[in-house]
Amino acid sequence: MVSVRSVYTQPSSLTYSDLPWIIQHREDRCTLCGQCTAVCPKQAIYLTYRRQRMPKLDILRKKRGNEYRHFVGIRQHTSIDKMCIGCGMCSSVCPNEAIGPVPNPNEHRSQFHMNQKGEAWKRGGRRNAPGRTILDRISFGRISMLTDPALDAGRHEFSTNTILGRILPPEEYLRRRAAGEWIPPTREIFPFVIGSMSFGALSPNMWLGLLQGVAYCNEVLGIPVVMATGEGGCPPWVLKSPFLKYIILQIASGYFGWDEIIRAIPEMQCDPAAIEIKYGQGAKPGDGGLLMWFKVSKLIARLRGVPEGVDLPSPPVHQTLYSIEESVMKMIQTMSMAFGFRVPVYPKISGSTSAKSVLNNLVRNPYAGGMLIDGIDGGTGAAYNVSLDATGHPIASNLRECYLELVAQGRQNEIPLFAAGGVGKNGNVTQNGMALIMLGASGVHIGKYIMQSSAGCLGNEMGRCNVCNVGICPKGITSQNEKLFRRLDPDDVAQRVADTFMSIRTEMKKIMAPLGRSQSLPIGMSDALGIDDADAAERLKIKYTC
Amino acid sequence: MSDKKIVTVSGKDANGLRLTSKIFEEEVRGAAAAADELILESFGQHNIGLRLGTEDHPLTLHITGPAGQRLGCMGHPGATIISEDSASDDVGYLNIGADIIVKGDATNGVCNAMAGGRVMIGGSIGARGLTMTKWNPEYAKPEMWVLGSVGDTFAEFNCGGIGIICGHESKNADNVLGYRPCVGMVGGQVYYRGKTDDSYSRTNAKLTKPTDEEWQWLIDGLPGYLEAIGRTELFDTLSKRDEWNLLTAITPQERALMFSGPMPMAEFAKRIWSQGFGGGDPLRDLAPGLERTLIGVVESGEMRRRKPFWANRDSAAPCTYYCPMHIPTIDRLRLIRDGKTDEAYEMLLRYTPFPASVCGTICPNLCIQNCSRKKVDYSIDVSVLGNAVRTVEPPKAKPSTGHKVAIIGGGPAGMGAAWHLALAGIEAHIFEKADQLGGKLALTIPWERLSKAVWDMEVERFLKEDNIVVNLGVTMTREKIEQLKKEFDYVIIAVGTHQPKIIPFPGHDRVIPALDYLKAAKSNNPMKTGKQVVIIGAGNVGCDVAAECYRLGAEEVTMVDIQKPLAFGVERDAAEALGATFKWPVMTKEVTEKGLVTDKDELIPAQTVIISIGDVPSLPFLPESVELVKVAGGSWIKTDDAGRTSDDKILAIGDVERPGLATNALGAAKRTAEYLIATFNNTKWLPFNKKLIQYESLTIAHYDPAEEKGDTENHQAARCLSCGSCRDCHLCETICPTHAISRRELVADDTSKVNYEYVSDDSKCIACGFCADTCPCGIWTMRPF
Repeated sequence: MVSVRSVYTQPSSLTYSDLPWIIQHREDRCTLCGQCTAVCPKQAIYLTYRRQRMPKLDILRKKRGNEYRHFVGIRQHTSIDKMCIGCGMCSSVCPNEAIGPVPNPNEHRSQFHMNQKGEAWKRGGRRNAPGRTILDRISFGRISMLTDPALDAGRHEFSTNTILGRILPPEEYLRRRAAGEWIPPTREIFPFVIGSMSFGALSPNMWLGLLQGVAYCNEVLGIPVVMATGEGGCPPWVLKSPFLKYIILQIASGYFGWDEIIRAIPEMQCDPAAIEIKYGQGAKPGDGGLLMWFKVSKLIARLRGVPEGVDLPSPPVHQTLYSIEESVMKMIQTMSMAFGFRVPVYPKISGSTSAKSVLNNLVRNPYAGGMLIDGIDGGTGAAYNVSLDATGHPIASNLRECYLELVAQGRQNEIPLFAAGGVGKNGNVTQNGMALIMLGASGVHIGKYIMQSSAGCLGNEMGRCNVCNVGICPKGITSQNEKLFRRLDPDDVAQRVADTFMSIRTEMKKIMAPLGRSQSLPIGMSDALGIDDADAAERLKIKYTC
Repeated sequence: MSDKKIVTVSGKDANGLRLTSKIFEEEVRGAAAAADELILESFGQHNIGLRLGTEDHPLTLHITGPAGQRLGCMGHPGATIISEDSASDDVGYLNIGADIIVKGDATNGVCNAMAGGRVMIGGSIGARGLTMTKWNPEYAKPEMWVLGSVGDTFAEFNCGGIGIICGHESKNADNVLGYRPCVGMVGGQVYYRGKTDDSYSRTNAKLTKPTDEEWQWLIDGLPGYLEAIGRTELFDTLSKRDEWNLLTAITPQERALMFSGPMPMAEFAKRIWSQGFGGGDPLRDLAPGLERTLIGVVESGEMRRRKPFWANRDSAAPCTYYCPMHIPTIDRLRLIRDGKTDEAYEMLLRYTPFPASVCGTICPNLCIQNCSRKKVDYSIDVSVLGNAVRTVEPPKAKPSTGHKVAIIGGGPAGMGAAWHLALAGIEAHIFEKADQLGGKLALTIPWERLSKAVWDMEVERFLKEDNIVVNLGVTMTREKIEQLKKEFDYVIIAVGTHQPKIIPFPGHDRVIPALDYLKAAKSNNPMKTGKQVVIIGAGNVGCDVAAECYRLGAEEVTMVDIQKPLAFGVERDAAEALGATFKWPVMTKEVTEKGLVTDKDELIPAQTVIISIGDVPSLPFLPESVELVKVAGGSWIKTDDAGRTSDDKILAIGDVERPGLATNALGAAKRTAEYLIATFNNTKWLPFNKKLIQYESLTIAHYDPAEEKGDTENHQAARCLSCGSCRDCHLCETICPTHAISRRELVADDTSKVNYEYVSDDSKCIACGFCADTCPCGIWTMRPF
């Protein structure tokens, strides 16, 4: 007989068909080499033995009974902690294309059970909102043809750079020049900036690979790319290197690593590109950073100037800032002064209906070097799912409102706005960035895109992978475990960074040439934009095209 | 050439007004039909020379007036178009074969989209010369000769045209090729002499000196060109080979090779990147020795994230774990499988003196209630195993150590303790109040449930053991205890519970305690039992009482309880089979001579009412040094995890600590005996502390369900899953995809130890976990390291 085994189901009991990713395993192809189970970051799959009853039902003879067939296969666990994340590492190592995850087209019940032990669902990645974004839908419709001299992206020379830092009105600039007064610092940079991702959130090989690529772009390709560090410090050798000029140092509420930065100031060969003060993040406004203890390796601890193996929270608020005025005065002035007023200082805020209020304050501050708005589609290494999915403001209209506010005041050429949050979410990085630029941004920050593009980040908007928060990144991008981060070759990352920026530059020209623009970035050139959505067109004050 | 017919066409009409390009073209075409040579006194007309002349009927056009745009446009082979002065834009536009000579300068767009013929300029030209010029391999290559310089964006997208820029009398002598020539050039060549700004497109053209062949081509063509523009005197000036350079289009194949990037990343990393950090890794000060070199995603050795451990016998099988004595049934069954039946029996007897009476008969077998085999077919049947041991001789005791322990009470707890102490060579003196050993086992459990033959046999074996001294009929007093404390190393109290609990409802004096009834029933003087009996308390003891009542004459037994009856198993089955009925919830209001009256004034008629709600310890002899716990209507001796009391010479075991099954009492006895043995030996007492094996770690699909449970030891042994204990099946060794696992013989100093092990070679293992997923017994476990 076969035991009538009592099968218990608990409220959280799930079957494989309840999970977002279903492992498909072909027993006829499997060689049982063990690579898939060895590589799986979640230990979601295992070798299983199955028994099949083969009844012998011979009606004419008395000889009846059961025989059993045994077979093996690779199956997936159905508990939340060992749930397949769809990363597909199994398929990448399988020598016989015998295994791989497929998205479950059904609504999956697992999402009702992600809150195990009272802990709300946390993850990395971006808002799980697949599909075309508003930015993806914007087209560049004012084609310069016969009415203006035509430009050829391949032939003409284009100025694709932008300015970071406060730009004085011409008469004021001339007056100060003549009077020998202080002129706010500016930087000519490539308008696609690698957004702030900390050394800590990123693995050493990833962070240094990005910087190496950035240095290559500047020094070999002549593309003045800069990258922001995120809060979490910067290795002293980097601070003392000539590559510091390609780095935007970030300061946030945790001030992690700043003791080492301040210590290194006398030894710096050059100034950093800028200082970014983080007040908010698009992926998780009102939610701070938290580097979990298991990512605080010896290296990270030294880098941040903290003990090893402790949780490192950067709370959502700066503990001693009580008003916009104070924030602006205290932080911007202090940071400017630290570098002799030679470095642009700007705040980064989350996309918000209050962004305009912040902007108006910055406009009045003589030291403010710009403003970065990070929209709801921004990515992060760790956040509550609810923050990622539902908290924040999309970037397009937020940026547009701020820009039009500056236009109304006649200050749009003075304080550069930078936009971030979902740029390149569906791969259209240049198109998205240029759309934002034409809506009024001086440049954009890209984070998730550069991870996907330069390091092969497996995350997507279907919840694939998204385990950056727990330090098990299968590509070694966001892990401090040397068994994982050594999977990533910094030279390869650097090469991909170079490839990426070369092609962004080409695509920028391909967008600018038909518009007839070559000598300056088309910031705010919204007459060129169209969208196939009348409401969005009205909101963004661009053309409705269909 | 005197027979040549020369016709002159004027670009003005009779009134001296300019003819439109359309009218002029019609007149020129008309004239050309009958002429060999035309003199065109043009006046700024466009497209002069368009589609005139053929190779069979050559035609020469002399342009004497100002030419308009696109001179020689769409010129045919056979036409020679000569402008005596300068020309406007787009000379030779779409020319397919005409020779076009401009003795002065030409403005922008010369040779644009030209596919054949020659354009020869006696001066300089403007921007965008030689752009989109192409070569059709069916015809000769188009040529453009310029004496001076060319303007910006020269030769863009040139696709086969040959440009010769002589750099003589240049309009822009500092840069004879203009700004950014050759962008998008995919074919053709540009010969030039003179200075340039070196801004030619590196990805489209390569700069060389002309080869011999190329130089020969140039020097062969030069006189004709100079003659055409009337400057033959310049030949010597222009024929200095070392002054000439050549830009040649890069082929797509060459470009593919070039475009690996301006500098290889490895070179950048070495030459620029690492030099920026003083020549080394930028993290060398922060994390000395941090290894960052590339590894694969599937690694062996130290780069694995987990590794396998052969955790043989680290976890307890459910049978071992749940048995209060922790009898390793799996080991017993393995010995049977190995044909070592005697060893199996002896091992069991070293755990319990009562394998047949308790394990094989009265115990509800907590061991197999959680048996993993249940998930395949049926639990292992341990009663078969217990009963098999009943006639086996006792194991050999160790030589006497001289230590002595007094044990108060000769029930299962006391006998168990005596057994273990005796086996360890410690004298165990039992002091029992009754006139026989066995406590409640012997006194109260009906012989129907515990066969007298089996019991007697086991008691006999018990008494055969050396080092056991039994004193029956001893009533304990405080004084006696004090005396025993002096005479013996330790005193163990194992008196059980022999004082029935009662409830003081009216008529409670009419009620017989179950304990008394059962003891009497097993004696020679059973109590008188009515036809109708009510038993208050429907537990398993109550069921035993019911069974005895039926044996002693009752016809109708009603068991009442204030809650759902707790009775279970064989006791309940037996009572129900005899006809006992259960009633609940029933609260007793009083008991009269008619029977039991409930709180709802219902009478349950009975001549005999028995109360079976448990017993409590009776401890009048206990010294005050021993602390008690008062709970559930009784006082119990307070003990710690080894059975020690607040008096350091007194220990307590069994029901006197807390009520339980006989097997619980035996478990406590074994635990405390082991504690004392360790104390006497000055070794550390190690209580049972294994974790229960997780069912999920077993792989039960290897086993096929059996049709029947089987009724022999061998059947049970064959079905045992050997949870947590390696069965040496070699499956791990077989499944391991990298052959990392092997079996190794060990020299075991003790035959009870395992004399082999399975090991995983770190240098081969990739941590796939197949060993753990395969192991039927749950031995291999994967752990991070």
